[in-house]
Amino acid sequence: MADTPATPLTRAEKATAKRARRFDNPWLNPKLIWGASLLLGIVALGIIGRLLWNLELVFTGSSLLKIPPIGFENLRGQAGTLANPVGTDGAGRDMLALLIIGAPNTLFVGLMASMIGMTIGIVLGFTAGFVGGRTDDTIRVLSDVMITIPPLLILVVVQSVFGDVSLTLMSLLIAGFVWQSPTRLIRAQVLSMREAGYVQMARLSGASTSHIMFKEMLPNLIPYLFGSFIASVTTSIVTAVGLEVLGLGPQRVPTLGRTIYEAINAGALIQNLWWWWGLPTLLLAVMFIGLLLVNLGLDEVSNPRLRKL
Amino acid sequence: MTVLDIQNLSIDFPTAGGVVHAVTDLSLQIEKGRRIGFIGESGSGKTTTALAVMQMLAAPGRVAGGQIILGGTDMLALSEEEMRLSRLSKVSYIPQGAMNSLNPIMRIEDQLWDGIIAHEPTTTKADLKRRSDEALASVGLLPHTARLYPHELSGGMKQRVCIAMGVTLSPDLIIADEPTSALDVVTQRHVMQTLKDVQAKIGAALILIGHDMGLMAQSVDELAVLKDGELVEHGDVRQILEAPKHPYTKDLISSVPLVGGESFLDPAPAEPPKGRGKPGVPLLAFEDVSKVYGNVTALHPMSFALDGEVPKIVSIVGQSGSGKSTMGSLMLGFNAPSTGRVLFEGQDVATMDQAASLDFRKNVQAVFQDPYACFNPFYRVDHALKFPFKRFGYATSETQTQQAMEDACVAVGLDPALILRRYPHQLSGGQRQRLIVARALMLQPKLLIADEPVSMVDASLRSTILKNIHDLKDRHGISILYITHDLATAYHVSDYVIVLYQGHVAEAGPPKQVIGEPQHEYTRLLIDSIPWPDIDRGWGTPTTEEEDAARLARLAEDRQTVMRGDIPGFTLS
Repeated sequence: MADTPATPLTRAEKATAKRARRFDNPWLNPKLIWGASLLLGIVALGIIGRLLWNLELVFTGSSLLKIPPIGFENLRGQAGTLANPVGTDGAGRDMLALLIIGAPNTLFVGLMASMIGMTIGIVLGFTAGFVGGRTDDTIRVLSDVMITIPPLLILVVVQSVFGDVSLTLMSLLIAGFVWQSPTRLIRAQVLSMREAGYVQMARLSGASTSHIMFKEMLPNLIPYLFGSFIASVTTSIVTAVGLEVLGLGPQRVPTLGRTIYEAINAGALIQNLWWWWGLPTLLLAVMFIGLLLVNLGLDEVSNPRLRKL
Repeated sequence: MTVLDIQNLSIDFPTAGGVVHAVTDLSLQIEKGRRIGFIGESGSGKTTTALAVMQMLAAPGRVAGGQIILGGTDMLALSEEEMRLSRLSKVSYIPQGAMNSLNPIMRIEDQLWDGIIAHEPTTTKADLKRRSDEALASVGLLPHTARLYPHELSGGMKQRVCIAMGVTLSPDLIIADEPTSALDVVTQRHVMQTLKDVQAKIGAALILIGHDMGLMAQSVDELAVLKDGELVEHGDVRQILEAPKHPYTKDLISSVPLVGGESFLDPAPAEPPKGRGKPGVPLLAFEDVSKVYGNVTALHPMSFALDGEVPKIVSIVGQSGSGKSTMGSLMLGFNAPSTGRVLFEGQDVATMDQAASLDFRKNVQAVFQDPYACFNPFYRVDHALKFPFKRFGYATSETQTQQAMEDACVAVGLDPALILRRYPHQLSGGQRQRLIVARALMLQPKLLIADEPVSMVDASLRSTILKNIHDLKDRHGISILYITHDLATAYHVSDYVIVLYQGHVAEAGPPKQVIGEPQHEYTRLLIDSIPWPDIDRGWGTPTTEEEDAARLARLAEDRQTVMRGDIPGFTLS
C-alpha cells in the first residue's frame, strides 16, 4: 500500500522523508541526541581540560585573587588575563581548573550513586515481584517507608558525623536513597508481566525461573530501566549538590557544589564576583537540561505514541 | 430523505513506509431511519470512515479527498467549534468499550447533563432532570439509575447509558462502534434490541460497525462490506446474505459456522492415528477438583478422566465467569486446586519433582487466546518455537531444528520464508496464532489445551485455524481440550461437550445432542441468544432482560446437571 514517488522530491517532501526516517529509527531522536551531547560535553570538558590546562592552578593562591574572565573588569578595575581565561576565585584558585575537575566529579557522584541504586532496585524489584508473599511484603513496606524519609535530613546528620567524605563514600550514602523508586517500578512491571502471554509460554516451554526473569522479562524492561536510571541520576546530583552547598560534601576535592558554597560564604554575591558562583551554576544547568532531554528522548523511544511525524 | 451522503471519500495515513490508504474512493448514502451495518476485518477502514464523519480521525490520518454531507451540511468544511456543536446534536457516537467511556467519579445523570449543557447552556435544572430521566427510560433503565455511579452498573447497563447519552439530543445519525463486543451473548441480544427500539423512536439513521455476520443479519436493514478500505458490496441485508456477489462477501458468509450446518473441517483420514497415552492410565484426570478465589467459587468439585489412547477433542463451553479458563489453568498446573487432585498419567501435578514436571510440560501444551501477547516482542518469532524444542531435548542439530520449524510452518499453511526470522509485530494476529499451533505441532504433546484460540482472530481466519487444530487430532494423535464461548465451533470440532455455568456442569455429552437438541435450560438460553446469519430464523424467543436475569439466577441456585450420553475414553462424574 506504500507509495514510492517517481518525481524528484520537493523540499517539503524531503523534510517529510527525513522525519519519517527518524520515526523509523527511534534512536535518531533529536531530544536524545541533544541531551547526550550536552552530557558528553561535560565529560569532554573534563578530559580535554586535563590534557590542555595546567591543573596545578586549582590550589589556593596559585593565581591572583578575584580576577574576572577575559573581557570583563572586577570592582578593583583589574581586567581578565589569558593566564586565567574565566577568572579566579576569592582564594586565588583558577576557575577553569576548578570547573575541569569539579564538573566531572559531580557527574561521577550522580552516575555512581544511581548505578548502585539501580542494581539494588533491580534485584529487590525482581525478587519482590517474582517471589511474592512475605518477601514481597517486606520489600514493599521497606521501600515505601524509605520513600517517605527526606534524604537530605538523614544525609546532613550522617555526613556531619563522618566529617570529610570521599566522592565514593558520598555516592554510596546517596545510593541508599535512590533505590526505592526503581524497586517499586520494577516490581510493578514484573507483576504485570508475570501474567503476560509470552511469560506463560516460556513456563509452558519448561523454562527455569532465572531464564524467565533475565531472558524473557529483563529485555522488555530496558526502556523503563533507562528512564528510571536517568531520573535517579538527576535526583542523586541534586542531593549531592545540595549537601555540597551546605558545606557537607568532600572537603579536599573540588566539586561544583563546593565551589558555590565557598562563593556564597565569601560574599561573592555582594562583591559582584558573578563568575565565581555563576559558572558552576551554569554547568549544573547544562547537566540538568542534558539529563532532562535524554529522559524525554528515551520516553519517546520507548513509547512510539509520543513520537511526532 | 438522505441523511448522510458520502462521496468518493479517501482517507490517508502518512507513515514512515509511505502513505497508507485507509479508505479509498468510498461512496455511500444513508436514508433517514435506516440501519446500515459496516462489516469487514480489522483494518478494513470501517471505524475510520465513521470517525471521519465526526472529524475525529486519529493523527496523522487525514481526509485526502471526497465529501461528507450530513443533513445538507458539508462536515469536512466545518470549523472546530461548529463541529463541536454538531457532535451529539447531529451525529452521536456509541463507543466500543462503554465500560471505559463513562467517568467513574460522576453520577450517571450528571454525565448525561454534560452533553445537553454543552449544546444548550440555558437549560434549567428541572428540564435537565426531565430529559435525562426520559433518555434513561427510553433505554429501559430504572429512574434510580440516574443517581448511581458507573461502577454500580453491570456491563450491559453501562452500554445502555452510553446509548442514552447518544440519543439525548435526537441526532440525525447514530454511529455504534461494536457496541456489544464486550458483552456476553445473553446481554448482547437485549442491548441490541434496545438500540434498535430507541433508534426507531427518534427516527435517526444508524451505522452499526461490527464483524459478526449473525449480529448484522439480526440488526440492520442494509449491509456495507468493506475490504482494505474499499466498499466491495452494499445493498439490502437479505439480498447480500442470500445472494452475495463479491467473492469476499461469500467468504465472510461461508466462514460463519452454523449449528447443524455443514462442517468446515476436512474429512477425517481413513486410518485415525494412534493415540499416545499410556495404556490403562488416564492421560489427564480431575479428582474432585475445585477452585476458590477468596469467597468466590470459580469451580465446584468436578471429576473426569480423559484417556489418551483414542485422540479426541473435548469442548468446555460457557460464558465469561463460568470457570472454563480456571479449568484450563488448573490443567496446565499454573494454578493449584483448592481441593482435589489433578493427575497427569497418574501423577499429581502439584507434587511432581523436577524431572516429572519437565515431562509434564513436554506433554501438555497450550494455545492461548491472545496471539499478540504470546510472543516476546524482544525476540524474533523463531525463539518461541526453537526454545522449547531445545529445552525438551528434541533438537539434535541447528539444521534439524530449522527443518522442524519449517515443516511445522508448512503444516499449518504458513510460508516459512515469510514468517521465520521476523519480529512478532511484523505478523498479523492470524499468522501468530497459526504459528502457536505450529509450535504445538513441533513439540508433539499428548494433550493440548486450546483456550479461546480464535476469539481474537478475524472471522475469515477462524475456520482455518480451527482446521489446523483439528488436524493435530486427526493426523498427529494429539488430544485436545477446547475452551470456548462459541457453541457453533464447539458443535463442529468436538467429540464431547461440557457446558459450564458458574463453575457447575450444566449439560454434558456428544455435541449433536448437547448443542443440537439442548435439554438443559441454560444451554437453551445460550443457543437462543446466538444471532444467526439468517434473517428468517429470528433472534430467539422474545424475552425481557429481567426475565432472563431471573432465569439465570434460578439456574445458579438449581445446579442441576443433565448428562447426555458418553463417548469411549472420556468419563465425567
